[in-house]
Amino acid sequence: MPRRDLADSRLLQLTAAAVVLMAAWFALRGFLPEAWRTPGSPELYLTGVAGAALLLVPVAFVVAKRGGSGANPVNWFNAHVACSLAGMVLIAIHSGGFLRRPPALLLLALLALAALGIWARVRGSRRIAATFASKAPAFRVPDVATRERLRALISEKRSLLARLDPRATEGTFSVNLPHFIRSPRLALAYRRLAREETRLLGTRAAVPARQAWWRPLHMALAWLFVLGIVIHVVTVTFFAGYVADGGPITWWHLRAWGG
Amino acid sequence: MRVDESRCTGCGECVMACPYSAMGYDAKGHHAVKCDLCVDRRAEGAQTTACASVCPTQAIRFGKREELLAEARAAGRAPRDQDHFLLGPATIYLERTTPQPVGAVAAVTPARAHPSTSRRPAFMDGVPAQTAVQAQSPAFPYRETRDDTAPDRVVPGGCNICFNCCTVKFHFKNNKLVKITGNDDDPLLKGRVCPKSQLTLQMYHSEHRLRYPQKRVGARGEGRFERISWDQALDEIAEKLKKIRDQYGAEALAMFVGTRTGILDYRTTTPMFAKLFGTPNKDGTDPFCASGKNVAFEITLGSIGSGNSYTENDLGSAQLYVYIGDNQAETRPVYFGMINDWRLKHGAKMVAVDPRLTATASKADRWLPIRPGTDMALALALAQHILANDLHDAQFCADWLLGFAEWRDFILQKNYTPEWAAPITGLAANDIRQLAEEIAAADGCVIFASRGINQHTNSTQTNRVLMFLSAITGNWGRRGGAYFNMSAGTPLAAKVPEHRAPKINKQRVRRSPAGWTEAMLHGKPYPIRALISCNNPMAQWPGQAKARAAFAALDLMVHIELFANETSAYADYLLPAASGIEKGEIGRSNDDRRVVWIDKMIDPPGEAKSDTWIWVELGKRLGFGDVLKEEYKDPAVFWDEVCIDTPSMKGCTQKRLHSVPHRWVRIPVPTEDAPEIETLYLEGTTVPTGAPGRRFPTKSGKLEFWTPELEAKFNTLGLSALPEFYSEREQLVDLPYMELLETDAEEGVISPFCSPATGSARGRIVAPGPDHPGAKLRAQGFDTELVTGRPPAAHFHSWTHYFWQSQEMWPDLYCQIHPEKAAQLGIRDGERVKVESAHGSIEAMAWVHAGIRPTAVFIPIGWGERQPYNPWRPVNFLTDKTQRDPVSDQTNLKVLLCRVSRVVV
Repeated sequence: MPRRDLADSRLLQLTAAAVVLMAAWFALRGFLPEAWRTPGSPELYLTGVAGAALLLVPVAFVVAKRGGSGANPVNWFNAHVACSLAGMVLIAIHSGGFLRRPPALLLLALLALAALGIWARVRGSRRIAATFASKAPAFRVPDVATRERLRALISEKRSLLARLDPRATEGTFSVNLPHFIRSPRLALAYRRLAREETRLLGTRAAVPARQAWWRPLHMALAWLFVLGIVIHVVTVTFFAGYVADGGPITWWHLRAWGG
Repeated sequence: MRVDESRCTGCGECVMACPYSAMGYDAKGHHAVKCDLCVDRRAEGAQTTACASVCPTQAIRFGKREELLAEARAAGRAPRDQDHFLLGPATIYLERTTPQPVGAVAAVTPARAHPSTSRRPAFMDGVPAQTAVQAQSPAFPYRETRDDTAPDRVVPGGCNICFNCCTVKFHFKNNKLVKITGNDDDPLLKGRVCPKSQLTLQMYHSEHRLRYPQKRVGARGEGRFERISWDQALDEIAEKLKKIRDQYGAEALAMFVGTRTGILDYRTTTPMFAKLFGTPNKDGTDPFCASGKNVAFEITLGSIGSGNSYTENDLGSAQLYVYIGDNQAETRPVYFGMINDWRLKHGAKMVAVDPRLTATASKADRWLPIRPGTDMALALALAQHILANDLHDAQFCADWLLGFAEWRDFILQKNYTPEWAAPITGLAANDIRQLAEEIAAADGCVIFASRGINQHTNSTQTNRVLMFLSAITGNWGRRGGAYFNMSAGTPLAAKVPEHRAPKINKQRVRRSPAGWTEAMLHGKPYPIRALISCNNPMAQWPGQAKARAAFAALDLMVHIELFANETSAYADYLLPAASGIEKGEIGRSNDDRRVVWIDKMIDPPGEAKSDTWIWVELGKRLGFGDVLKEEYKDPAVFWDEVCIDTPSMKGCTQKRLHSVPHRWVRIPVPTEDAPEIETLYLEGTTVPTGAPGRRFPTKSGKLEFWTPELEAKFNTLGLSALPEFYSEREQLVDLPYMELLETDAEEGVISPFCSPATGSARGRIVAPGPDHPGAKLRAQGFDTELVTGRPPAAHFHSWTHYFWQSQEMWPDLYCQIHPEKAAQLGIRDGERVKVESAHGSIEAMAWVHAGIRPTAVFIPIGWGERQPYNPWRPVNFLTDKTQRDPVSDQTNLKVLLCRVSRVVV
């Protein structure tokens, strides 16, 4: 199957386009009709919905990648990049320019997500490439206790795997979404063992912190964003007066539906 | 295990997860990469993996685990326990075979164990450097599919880059070169190659190659050119040469012809052209690399190079290998691999003498970290200890050495004892004694020397003392005993009919091209107004500031090159050259006397032409067409008709070269059916091309240490044929040094060691005194020994700096510095440093490395300011053209005083 890699140059072009669009919107919004500056106006409301919908694509990417059934994870990856950038632009527009309000933190999280992802792809990947044949821990003998614990861990993993996925081999197995759906308890137990093994192997500690932690940070920011979205939707829907802070509730869906 | 790239999103988690860091990653294509043990290759019938097939040292083997383990056990080798994580890795590592002798522990262990030595140097992964590489197109066939590079034709030939002369196979698909592999039909190298051989694929496909003739339109050094036709370029150059010849004389043309041009042109077309034009001022890189050892071989043996071979029966049978100033593991990796294999197999010892823990030293039983520039003192002390204790081979000395008694008496009278040498060399007297006794006792000792010995003002004399050392211990003219110093000469013919060679009226200015700069700048001792350069003097010539000023002052400068470089920017005409299989040639002169033939297989890029084509065409325009004939553009015709018209080459015909699948013949072969000789000069034999009864090719048939004639020759230059110790003038301790009595602007005397007649400065050995130049420099803060030399094996001079993968591996110019020194100066690994000598300054990236003397830094050659990936000022801005050997005109490039500081950004 041909691989459609998203080249660094194309990624940077997409990013530059997103930045230009956001900058243009912030620069020109004073000249736009009032509705484009009113939080919750039909225009900004729909923009937000569209942005959120686009940002569901990265979620789908995670499912496709971790679910083990995605036909083409690389295409999903590319879609996650393109839709994230487009969604970010729409969310920026949705903000209406109110950047001193708490919801602006969501935009900030998006920007940080994008920046981290781009760094990892363009710069961090070189560090990843340089990891080959460079880990000193491979040549250090672990102490007896660690080795014994590793032996026990591997044994436990094999035993668990026989129940979790009998056709899998311990050496190349990793837990994915279907395992969590089918046998959440076993999957969680297996993942706990795998994490302990990783800690004992010292593999994360063997690479520079930025290489070791960019991805957990990227995922943490994504979850924070999702959490923020939920809070945002709940507060603007059920605590509209609080959000409006004594001002008019201008968001369209509540007005239109007589909230 | 394989990576399905079509499904890999490039997150890099697997790279982090693998404790052995066996997972690779393609930063350009964003996907993981994993060795699959050449599953496709083996499916096509290959018996082994690509890495194992080419490994220069045969350190990698491929096979069934149990069989390999059984083989290791049978050889008494123990597998290393490296399954620390109980992951069952398939790779087996064997424990080192050679226990560290007690005396070596202090020298070797600290460097190996030091934390800074056990981690990857930071500069290799510097973001700006790697960005520069990644920004360029990756090398062909990188990222091509296996189908796209499946060959339909394979032609044997050789690598034309370095002195290892690896035999290779060129693989073509639809007449496009798609792969270069080792030649597994070669009975000697057996398919082993060094990285450069395979990387030449990137030379043949490089987008940076020069493609058409150009004429300068901007100022010199500016680098602005316009494209012109070959006819215009050659017509104009010929006209300008005629005018210069008419105005200043033929000797006003200088030709700097390095081995980039190929040995064929280096030794035939260019000397023929020089003779036809009438200029004596033609030379190459020898005076920067090897002229000292060449002179020493000529006057001692009567021929350049050892008579031994890289066979198990010959070099493989030695009991002791001593490397002095020779990092063979990097400079001729395949040869080193062969030596190391034999050494392990036979339990022979290996000792390395070098200021650095080089790749070679790291494999040795002992490393003696000598003070740079003092190898002569070590050699004298080794000889003194052997002679004073009657450890020498008295019979061999009596029978086969001329002037032995004079030299022995001189050595003993001078009292060059190990105790005398210890403070000079920085080595313990006991270590010197031990080495001397080992050399004397070994049933076969091979001493390898190289640029570490050659690139000094005492180059000739140090080489001679080391030769004498080999000879007095009977290690000459025997199997498993020799003195080696890189390449043996390839005696090609460059004959011009006497009536066609104009009389040369003036002596060559100097043997070293670095000595031509006063003639270029000030017209002294006479003017040089034109230079044709077939190499990169702007990186190679010592004392770059003076060289550049001289080049700027020329009336005509022509540069024939593969890639545009700093020299090109100074040229009036820039002519694109072909290389290797684009033109047909032989490999370099090499240690093993093998002449490797390389067929012309492809056309050069664009309008590029072979060097022979260029000289023949230029010759036509100057009326040399009857000698440099049109048909000589075909290298095979030229070879058979002209080049091999010397006694030892006559049998090395095209027919013979093409009769073997490995495409090489070991010379001398006086006739086409003469057998190759594994070891020359064995007792009871006669030198093949010499007079009957002579064992060695000297006039006397003996190895010549001292004769009245030789003494007279040395006296001409102010020296004695009995080598007296001196070192360099820039040292951290005051040692005797060589002072030249004439500058390059003066004619000097005619050197008795050169042909044609060549001017030379006389020299005198200056004893340490209150005005010692080293002391003055130290007072100015120049407190560090600067050693220059070859970078790791993936690089060779400036060529490989245009190769994508060489740059990816070794991108930046680096300065190796000991952790203690770095700590004193507040320099961290990977930081930018400034290095200053009394002659100039450059910057480089710090490589904090315990494998170097704490008082020294090492900076490699090869980088230049106009290279496409990571340009740096070349290290020769720090060197000094006036520090030269009066005998060979060799420049000291191995020890200068410098100071190092951190560059504050």
